[in-house]
Order: sequence, then structure tokens, then C-alpha cells
Amino acid sequence: MAVVGAVGVISFHEPIRSVLSLVVVMIALGILFLLLSAQFIFVAQIIVYAGAVMVLFLFVIALFGPARELARANLRFQSWLAAVFVLALLIVIWTMLSGVQYRQPDTTDLSVFGTVQSIAVGLFTTYLYPFELTSLLLLVAAIGAIYLSRKKVDDQ
Amino acid sequence: MSGMSIGGSELDASWFLILSAILFTIGAVGVLVRRNPLVILICIELMLNAVNLTLVTFSRQLQNLEGQLFTLMSITVAAAEAVVGLAILVDIFRTRDVEDVDELSEMKG
Repeated sequence: MAVVGAVGVISFHEPIRSVLSLVVVMIALGILFLLLSAQFIFVAQIIVYAGAVMVLFLFVIALFGPARELARANLRFQSWLAAVFVLALLIVIWTMLSGVQYRQPDTTDLSVFGTVQSIAVGLFTTYLYPFELTSLLLLVAAIGAIYLSRKKVDDQ
Repeated sequence: MSGMSIGGSELDASWFLILSAILFTIGAVGVLVRRNPLVILICIELMLNAVNLTLVTFSRQLQNLEGQLFTLMSITVAAAEAVVGLAILVDIFRTRDVEDVDELSEMKG
């Protein structure tokens, strides 16, 4: 289901259909996260991605109308080059993943693994500093978005 | 949890890794082939999600919570990236109608 949605993302010619297939991918991945006992990540995925980010994309598309994509490409051999590059990329990822060997898993209690409580303990003790840095990053992004999308005022 | 054990008998972690590799590759194809800047942003989101799936899979496999914490950071960074990218696109779209990223090649510092 995720793969079907992903193919839909790159094959539809109207951006709004790409966005809607990306929502399918997000929800499918969220279910996989739940399967991997990452409940909090599942909730964050659904709210942040399938909710907020996708609504943002839909807003921009709705604001500027359904711009259809031109079929032509300025670069002549672009699709062939892309195919070669992507094949190489797939091979590299494949060899990396096929050589994976797992070490012995940490003996964590699986009944609390991935719950909100255990994530919060990790987030606010060991990783407090990166957590604060992410909040700073969000602040910078918000200010930057406001600055970029404000109405230009002619100062004369 | 109903006794699901990944890496054990019922579900293998490698399937999740393969799926994530496929998703990442599809996202890369999209970035390289599509011409619309909006769709390219969408494809970048797709690649970020594939990486998130890898992180969560390894976190579950090693039963180590750090992968999930890093996934949270990654989701935050992806959201910030989407916001700033879309703001830039809105700024560009306001002045002219762009349907092809090649028309944006004159952007300088």
C-alpha cells in the first residue's frame, strides 16, 4: 500500500493528486510504526505529517491553482541519467542493507517500549539538549516563514 | 503487544528495511524526474519518511529507544524544512507563474 502510494506520488501529473497519494503513504507508514511498537511516533506521524504538513501543501496548491506539469524536459538525457543514477543508488542501499548484522538486543521491557512515558524519560534526561535545540529550530523556521511570506512593503 | 516478535519468528525486520529502501528510491526518482518544484518538495518528504522507517525498524530490532527519539527530531526537522520551502515557493509564485525548476536557475544570494 505504501509502495502504491509512493508510485502515485511521482506518476500523477497534477500536484494535488501527488499530495493525496503522499497522505496514503504517510498513513501506511504510521501503521507500520505502530506495528514496530512505536506508538508515540505513530501519533506524531499522523498529526504532524498526515495532518499539518499535508494541509500546508494543499493550501499552497489551492492558493496558486492546479498548475499542470509540462511534459517536455529541457535536459535531453535527463530521464536516462536519472534511471542510471537511481539504479546505482538502489544497488548501494541494497548492499548496505544486506550486510546488516544485528547485535544482541538490549534487554528492554517490551511492554513499555515506545510508550509516551519511556520516550519522555529519554527526551528530557539524556537528550534534553538536542530537544531544546529542536525547539529553537522550530522557532527559527516559524520566523523565517513569516519573513518570507509577508507582504512586501515599498519603503519610499 | 500480542506476542509479535520482529527478528524472531513472525515478522522479519528486513522486510521493513526493503520497503524503506524502495520508498527512498522512489523519492529519489521523483526528485530527479519531476519538474514542478512543489512535487519535488513532496518527494523530499517521501525520502525523509523512508529514513524514519529505517530508524524505527532498527530501534525496534535492537530494542533501543534512541532510534525513536532521533525519529522525533527528524520529523521536527522535516516539518521545519517543509514550512520554509513552501514559504520560498509562495514568495516565488507570487511574482510569476513557475512550472519548471529550470526557470529558477537565476536565483543568486
